[in-house]
Amino acid sequence: MLTVENLIKQYGDFTAVDNVSFDASKGTVFGLLGPNGAGKSTTISCISGLLSPTSGHIRVDGADVVKDGKRAKRSLGIVPQEMAIYEDLPAVENLKYWGKAYGLRGAALGSRVSEVLDHIGLADRAKDMPKTFSGGMKRRLNFGCGIVHKPGLLLLDEPTVGVDPQSRQRLFEMVEAERDAGACVLYTTHYMEEAERLCDELAIIDHGKIIAKGTVGELKSQLAARDVLQLNGDFSEAGIKKVIESLTGRGISDLELISQEAGAVTLTLSSASRHLPAIFEAITSEGGSVTETSLRSPNLETLFLLLTGKELRE
Amino acid sequence: MSFLYASFRKDLARWRQDPLTALLWLGIPFLIGGLITAMVDGGDGASPTGILLIHDQDDSLLSGLVAGAYSQGQLGELISVEQVSLDEGTERINAGDASGFLVIPEGFTAAFLEEEPAVLTLKTNPSQTILPGIIQDVTEILLDLGFYAQALFGPEIEQIQNADSDVVPNDVFVAGIAVQIQGKIDTVSPHLFPLAFDIEIVEPPPTAPRPDIALLFLPGIVLMAILFSAQGLSADYWKEREAGTLRRLVSTPGLLSRFVYGKALAAAVVVGLLGCVTLTLGFLYHDVAWSKFVPSVAWVTIPGVGLFAWFSALQMLFPNQKSANLLTSILLFPLLMMGGSFFPLDVLPDWIAAIGRMSPNGFVVDRLTKELTSPTAWTYDAKSWAIVFGMTISGLAVCAWRLQTGFARR
Repeated sequence: MLTVENLIKQYGDFTAVDNVSFDASKGTVFGLLGPNGAGKSTTISCISGLLSPTSGHIRVDGADVVKDGKRAKRSLGIVPQEMAIYEDLPAVENLKYWGKAYGLRGAALGSRVSEVLDHIGLADRAKDMPKTFSGGMKRRLNFGCGIVHKPGLLLLDEPTVGVDPQSRQRLFEMVEAERDAGACVLYTTHYMEEAERLCDELAIIDHGKIIAKGTVGELKSQLAARDVLQLNGDFSEAGIKKVIESLTGRGISDLELISQEAGAVTLTLSSASRHLPAIFEAITSEGGSVTETSLRSPNLETLFLLLTGKELRE
Repeated sequence: MSFLYASFRKDLARWRQDPLTALLWLGIPFLIGGLITAMVDGGDGASPTGILLIHDQDDSLLSGLVAGAYSQGQLGELISVEQVSLDEGTERINAGDASGFLVIPEGFTAAFLEEEPAVLTLKTNPSQTILPGIIQDVTEILLDLGFYAQALFGPEIEQIQNADSDVVPNDVFVAGIAVQIQGKIDTVSPHLFPLAFDIEIVEPPPTAPRPDIALLFLPGIVLMAILFSAQGLSADYWKEREAGTLRRLVSTPGLLSRFVYGKALAAAVVVGLLGCVTLTLGFLYHDVAWSKFVPSVAWVTIPGVGLFAWFSALQMLFPNQKSANLLTSILLFPLLMMGGSFFPLDVLPDWIAAIGRMSPNGFVVDRLTKELTSPTAWTYDAKSWAIVFGMTISGLAVCAWRLQTGFARR
């Protein structure tokens, strides 16, 4: 349904999207996971026709977004990060307007608008102005405007930013419903939990480049069930090197240093909790001390940390 | 076409939510127009008058004639004479409550008849500029008149003075005096009124009836409402951009040009309604021929949409909504001033009027003024209509281009 090939988007000397390629199929949710500024929204903007790619190709249902934009856009629905609704137009009129923008007419439009109002839980507020709605209701209407024409490809650009947990749950259900109805959903987020919950396939993106891609299971397997251990305290760079050599020599063979800053070190190893006493002892014997310990079991966030040496939300 | 209609209905429905703004667009021109009309047409027609206080110590026939001279003919429309006591007169003139205070001394008549000097005291109000001067000039003319009367008819006056005042003069005495006076007039007439040349009075060519001055303000006031609405509505592109709807629009197959034309059609309805309301009231008040109503509404609506389009295009050139609104607001007032909304173009200095007629609203005002004040039917001038259509279409094209080239995508 969606093919992105060697997509590059440059602003002068700055490359926002650097040779990104991926495919997404109908009936699946494809996630773009990455921190703020990683290039997710730029990628979405290129796919939706808001930005022209510097190079590369994007095809939606076989239609090239640049060369055959009108046909590509007919199959495309978007739910932007910020609201994109008319606050001074009744909810039902919002849906009708965007339906017409996508070419729906007459009875087909009327029945689809009714369906969407039911689907997003606003049937009883159809004639009310969105300016009188709660934040969650506006989010749902924003979502409804993106699916009113039953798009084959639905783009969701960080749709849960600033959304309360209840509305977030409702949104997840709506996304899953679209996927179950056969749509291809491209979902960008920097929340690992969302990606794990919703996405059938994922691409992890950082500095405009895809650094890992696959199903959630495949990506997790890259961690080889290793935990991530973060230690804060007083230790030198040379001291930590000796600690790692010492521990490796004592049989903790998969111990790996991910990052080290002043007073903080991040390590990865399997069964970390079992090895904690030995790690503390080694640090103490090298003259250091530990003031804070953080142990995380393997997940997408730790994978990102492993791949980039930094937190997903930095 | 359907998306154009959808955009038109959408904007009309949205703008209908804000009737207060439309009332302001109407209210300000009405307020200004009402004030101008009241100034030009209004009031009770009375000219400003001055007050001349007179204290007559002589209380004679002659002093009464002097006092009465200020109330004669057109002078009486300017000066109101009040007899007062010396104290009251002094107090009121000192308080600035009158234009002048004239004191006629006791023995004034006797001094006049005996050709002896007499002093009339005139005190004027320095805070007034024109009326005290008129009173002073009139007083001097009266004194000159008295001098010449004494010089010409001195013997006759003396005979009257010497007559017994308690006895009614007989017919022979009166007839004698009258004959003497007539004789002197006949003698001096050829010298005083020599007919040195004949005067041929040529009738000036008939001129067109001068239009009602307040009517000259009507086109400017109508265009003021149109300009306010065009500028106000043009901010909607920025509102849409801030609401994120323009970005969503770009990702749809709906054409941006149809979106622009839909918005322009909605603006045409608003501008047309404002034109209808202001012109209806103007036609009723000034009794303009109703056959000119429909072309007048069309004449202000089409360029109104053009002004909306150009204001919108200008707004979209700016990096933020605040500076865009500020610039168009600043631009509004020179357009109003030079385009004949505050003062009719005919009363502006020639060079300003020439510039004003080249401004889009001034062009419309000028033509509308000519049509409304002309006694003939509306003249359909193809060139003028082509200009306003051209301005409108080019403005809309610039809007569509600006949306396409980045404004909608940010």
